[in-house]
Amino acid sequence: MSAPAVMPPIKRYTGVMDWLTTVDHKKIGLMYFWFVLIMGLVGGALAGMIRIQLATPGAVWDAVQAAQLAGEQLPFNLYSEDRHFFNQIVTMHASVMIFFVIIPGLIAFANYIVPLMIGARDMAFPKMNAFGFWLLIPSAILMMTSFWVQGGAAATGWTAYPPLSLKGAGINPGQDMWIMGVHLAGLSSILAAINFIVTITNMRAPGMGWMKMPLFVWATFFTSIIQLLATPVLAAAVTMVLMDRNFGTTFCDAMKGGDPVLYQHIFWTYSHPAVYIMVLPAFGAISHIIAAFSHKKTFGYLGMVVAIGSITALGFVVWAHHMFTVGMPTGLQAYFMYATLLIGVPTGIKVFSWIATMWGGTLRFTAPMLCGIGFVSLFTIGGFGGLILAMVPTDQSLHDTYFVVGHFHMVLVGGSVLALFGMTYYWWPKMTGRMLSETTSKWVFWLMFWGTMITFMTMHLTGAAGMARRVPVYYADFKILNHITTFGYALTALSSLILFVQLLLSYRRPKITEDDPWKINDVQQSFEWATSSPPPVYNFATVPPIPVADQH
Amino acid sequence: MRRFALVFSWMFVAMSFGSVATGAEVAPSATPSVDTLVKTLNPDIFALDANQRPVHAITNVFTSPASDIARDVASNNWYNLAIYLPFLILPQLVLLFAIYRFRDRKDGRKPATFTGNHTLEIVWTAIPCLALLAVVVPAWKLLWKMELPPAGIERAVVVEVRGKEFAWDYKYQADNLSIGQDVAGIQEPLVLEKDRPAILNMTSNDVNHAWWVPSFGVKKDVIIGRYTNVWFTPDTLGVFKGQCAELCGQGHGIMWISSVVVDSEMFKTYRELLRHRNDTVKIWNLLAPAAVADDKELESQVAKYLEKGRGAGRVLALKYWIATNYASIARRHQPDLTSAQVLERGVARRAQLDAVLARSLSAN
Repeated sequence: MSAPAVMPPIKRYTGVMDWLTTVDHKKIGLMYFWFVLIMGLVGGALAGMIRIQLATPGAVWDAVQAAQLAGEQLPFNLYSEDRHFFNQIVTMHASVMIFFVIIPGLIAFANYIVPLMIGARDMAFPKMNAFGFWLLIPSAILMMTSFWVQGGAAATGWTAYPPLSLKGAGINPGQDMWIMGVHLAGLSSILAAINFIVTITNMRAPGMGWMKMPLFVWATFFTSIIQLLATPVLAAAVTMVLMDRNFGTTFCDAMKGGDPVLYQHIFWTYSHPAVYIMVLPAFGAISHIIAAFSHKKTFGYLGMVVAIGSITALGFVVWAHHMFTVGMPTGLQAYFMYATLLIGVPTGIKVFSWIATMWGGTLRFTAPMLCGIGFVSLFTIGGFGGLILAMVPTDQSLHDTYFVVGHFHMVLVGGSVLALFGMTYYWWPKMTGRMLSETTSKWVFWLMFWGTMITFMTMHLTGAAGMARRVPVYYADFKILNHITTFGYALTALSSLILFVQLLLSYRRPKITEDDPWKINDVQQSFEWATSSPPPVYNFATVPPIPVADQH
Repeated sequence: MRRFALVFSWMFVAMSFGSVATGAEVAPSATPSVDTLVKTLNPDIFALDANQRPVHAITNVFTSPASDIARDVASNNWYNLAIYLPFLILPQLVLLFAIYRFRDRKDGRKPATFTGNHTLEIVWTAIPCLALLAVVVPAWKLLWKMELPPAGIERAVVVEVRGKEFAWDYKYQADNLSIGQDVAGIQEPLVLEKDRPAILNMTSNDVNHAWWVPSFGVKKDVIIGRYTNVWFTPDTLGVFKGQCAELCGQGHGIMWISSVVVDSEMFKTYRELLRHRNDTVKIWNLLAPAAVADDKELESQVAKYLEKGRGAGRVLALKYWIATNYASIARRHQPDLTSAQVLERGVARRAQLDAVLARSLSAN
């Protein structure tokens, strides 16, 4: 369908000014997307610095020191003289990846696709939408430039536990800049969440009842609820640290009657739901991708919706499983163990339903489909680690080890990032009107799949063998395992670089003319495939032209 | 069941990386030599053998548990895995099968059109719920065991643990004996007795830390402003390595922990040695690598030392601390001496001390 002639001219500027002033959800979605790609390279580079440092043990600290004093060159111990720098890198890797890659990455697609999917012309609050995106820029600038202030960037991990995060108050502004950055990113999240909730509630096409909404819209809706309810809690937690550091309050200062554990509770009240912010939209998108390339409808639509809903609800009441070693009352530990395990049930329903969706279909193994299947496989493995960690007795051995690092990276990289790759391949033709090379895309997928597998499976083993996380040096016992992990990292880095270049070069490829280049919409019947690629400004001139599909 | 889990579990493969021997076991002996004592009570946890492999390999709770709690945690974990594994393996197998069976062969096969199956959905919701009940009950019991005081608490070794940036201070509460950092600034091991419950009451001087020795199967945060505690009963002799497990600042990575588990005889000897430790400082100052080691001065100091008591334990303690200090210093790089030179000087100084001691003891 071509752009309607009836729409009034809405462009006030062209070129760069057009992008700077746009309130079009599609352009904002694309800006989110490129912001995320660039920050992804930054976060990946930080991960690379960690992996280079950890490639060799440096474990016998005294031997390292001795070698330095003897004037020997240690090419890989980049930070052995300044271990503080290593902690800064660890903190910033996590912060960049969480606040500037995975969360906005999923928002990028939600921004572009959700209004199309529900047949709306734009988001409910287009200007607020643009404001939410532009808030991320100063937030990222604050965090990244803090490397160059006195004392360097925040070096307390992305959890910023006091009393460690209270150190250097008034002298080293890195931690304060990190907190302000989190505030801005959080505000951006909250604005996006409000926008999505209002848009999805009020702007669906006529005939699209709640139970006819596509799953990606459901997932975005529940994610927005989590963001709206949880993000202010994070703001409260980091504000406590900010006040303690600068204004003489003592929320977290045990020496003046505060309690460092209070911060941990408040922090995880946000940060556990936050892990579902980082994966629920991926759940929704994967449902579409798997159904599309199986040429079927999603299996168990109602079950899928209920599962996302119960994950949302349960996500709010399990936070303290991040704190099984702080010495909580036994009954509380038992409760959090059981509640955490319960999340496995809806998650299991989703995995089983994806497989049932494939059952009996005609599977086409395009790049997005490979990413979808890879997601199901790796996410199951990552979730399995979660079940092991949920058991308090075992967790007291595995807490704060590389097992945990392996677990959440398996879920976030094998899950969310692979899903982001899949969403990119799936929707890129729609977003830019340009097909990507299937061969290159499949290379990217397989490199990412095996890179993730090697890197993070090995991390599980390293942690179970006894290596703590966030350490720049380690016992020589873990040498071989860390060699393997660093090799796996190289594969994932290569994969990401290829993807980046592939997307850049895609703008030189010919434009496609089809509305539905994947030839799936006879079954999917989703609005975004019923408009041109890319869709015209304001998406739909009239009420969307195909009947609203039954999802079940 | 446990064997089944062992064979099928990928974790087993994993952890065998870090599970070689648990270090040299020490046979009980009435009068161990000073060198044996140093080797046992002050092991070098970073030492590498000729093949660049650690002399004291790190052990972990899953393949080499070394306390009663650790054994329970390990077997509980294998039991959980036996229940969990089908939920990992079956979906992957079915997924692989579906990928093979339902690939589009371009033969005009029409895709199925079903969109749900209530019976199936109820079954795959109910079965995981039952599995959760099966894992949660034993874990619950073990959790209570870990949290309640140990059986035999009256004979427990109670240790007060203080975390600080970036080392640990230990104090045996029964007789107020302290362990901390040695003369070279290296963290000393926490010495515990085999088959005797150890209770650690822990707090922090500055930021949060976490005390963790993998093989003992416990980890607890060490938090300023409050006490946390754990207990376990070590049941294997040997050297156990661990480290701080809560980010605590720039030295977090080198905040090592080690623990030596010895028999009751050796434990008694060790406490005797600790008791006399402070009195040996002045003599050490005379015998340290950089000191002049004046014979006359040494003789008067040794005489002073013996004034307070001249039992075999006190004499042994003097010899032990000089020897163990040399062992520690040899591990840390010195500006002008190699570690071989330090050891060589140590042998000479210890001989000098032995001669002075022999003279002083026979003088009376």
